[in-house]
Amino acid sequence: MNYRKLVTIVEEIATEGGRPVDPVARVVIVAAVFDNPWAGQGFVEDLNPGIDSAASDLGALLAPRVIEALGAPLQAYGKAAIVGLDGEVEHGSALIHTLKFGNHFRDAAKATTLLPAVEKRGQAGVQFDIPLKHFTDATIRSHHQSVEARIADAPHPGEILIALAGATRGRPQERLAPLSTEQ
Amino acid sequence: MNSPLAQPPQLIDLSTRSTLEDYQDLAQAIGLRKISCTVEEVPHHELGSITRATATAVIPNPWLGTGTSQDLSERTEAIAPLLAKLLSDRLLNALGGAEQVEAFGKAALVGSDGELEHAGALIHTPFFGNLLREALGGTSIICFVDGRGVPGESLRVPMWHKTAAATRTHYQTLELSLPDAPHAGEIAVIAAASSGPRPHARIGDRTTDRTVTSEILKGIQL
Repeated sequence: MNYRKLVTIVEEIATEGGRPVDPVARVVIVAAVFDNPWAGQGFVEDLNPGIDSAASDLGALLAPRVIEALGAPLQAYGKAAIVGLDGEVEHGSALIHTLKFGNHFRDAAKATTLLPAVEKRGQAGVQFDIPLKHFTDATIRSHHQSVEARIADAPHPGEILIALAGATRGRPQERLAPLSTEQ
Repeated sequence: MNSPLAQPPQLIDLSTRSTLEDYQDLAQAIGLRKISCTVEEVPHHELGSITRATATAVIPNPWLGTGTSQDLSERTEAIAPLLAKLLSDRLLNALGGAEQVEAFGKAALVGSDGELEHAGALIHTPFFGNLLREALGGTSIICFVDGRGVPGESLRVPMWHKTAAATRTHYQTLELSLPDAPHAGEIAVIAAASSGPRPHARIGDRTTDRTVTSEILKGIQL
C-alpha cells in the first residue's frame, strides 16, 4: 500500500467536567493519505477494480495500528473517508463501505457491529469528526461519541484520506440512562 | 490559588518511571485535562521513513486571576518538570528512543483569560527545557512558539537539530491543531521531535554558502 503519509493521533482524557476520568479515556485515530485510485479518469461507472486495488490493503494497514496504539481492549470504533477536491465523495465511500476494508478492523478488534462513518470532500487540513459506537452493540448509548481530527496538508485535490478510530471506553463521565429505559 | 500542589507534599521518583500508562497521580497533581500525541510517518527514499511527533498537555492555568506582579517561579518549578516528563515519554515512545530523535521544538498556548507570560513560564525555564533536552538527548537551545489561543487553535511547531541548531537540513515545522483546547482558563504545552531532516533538503548549509552581504544589492540582475 503506497501512501504519502500515515498519521496516528492518541488522545487521553484525564479530566472531564472537573472530575478525574479513571481509567483515562483513550481515543486513537490512524489515517493514511494516498493517491485517489480514480484520479484523472473522469466519471468512472464501475468502481470495483479500484476498490479491489486498495480497500483490503488499507484495512490491513490501519486496523492493527489502532489496536496497538490503544494499548487496551477496544470498546468503540468508527471510520472516515475524506476525499480531496478533485474527487467524488463516492470514491471515499467506495473504499470504506466494503467488507474488504471493515472486516480487517472487526477481526482485529473482535467486533461485530457496523462501523459508523463520516464521508466528505474537503481541502487539505479540513476538520472532520469521526463518530464511534460500541463494538458489539450499536445501541449502547454510553459509547456514542465522536473524535475531532484535522490532518495537516491532507488530502490534496487528487488524494483521499482514510482513517479508522477506536476508543477504550465510552464517553468520559457518561451517565445517561440506557436506551432500554425509554422503550 | 486553588492548586492541588498546595496539599501536603508527597515525594515520588519519576527518574526511571514511565508515565505512558500509569500517571493518574501526576494528572491529578497538575489538573491535567488531556494529553494527546500526534505522530506523522512519511516514507523516504533513503531513510525508509521520517517520523515526526508532537505531544500536547492541557492543564488549568495555575495563575488565573493573579496580576502581572505575581511570582511565577513556585508553580513553574512544581508543574513544568511533570509536563516535561509526560511529554518526553510520549515523544520517545513515538520515535523509538532518544537515539532516533534528530530535531526538537516546543510550544505553549495560553487561553484567553491568561497572560502570555504564563505560557512562557511553563516552557522557557530549565524546569521544562533542560528536562526535555536531556530526555531527548540534545544539547541545543530548543526553538519554540508561544502565544494566546482559542480552542481549535492551529499552530506550527518549529524544530531544529538537537545538537547542532544551525544545521539547515533540520529546520522544519510540524503543523498541529488542538481540538477543544486551550479553554480560556487553560494552558496547552507542547513538545515536538523529528527523526530526520526535511524530506528533500537541498538548500545547502553554512559550510557551503558563499559570503553574502548587502553588497549584492548593488548588482541585482532582473
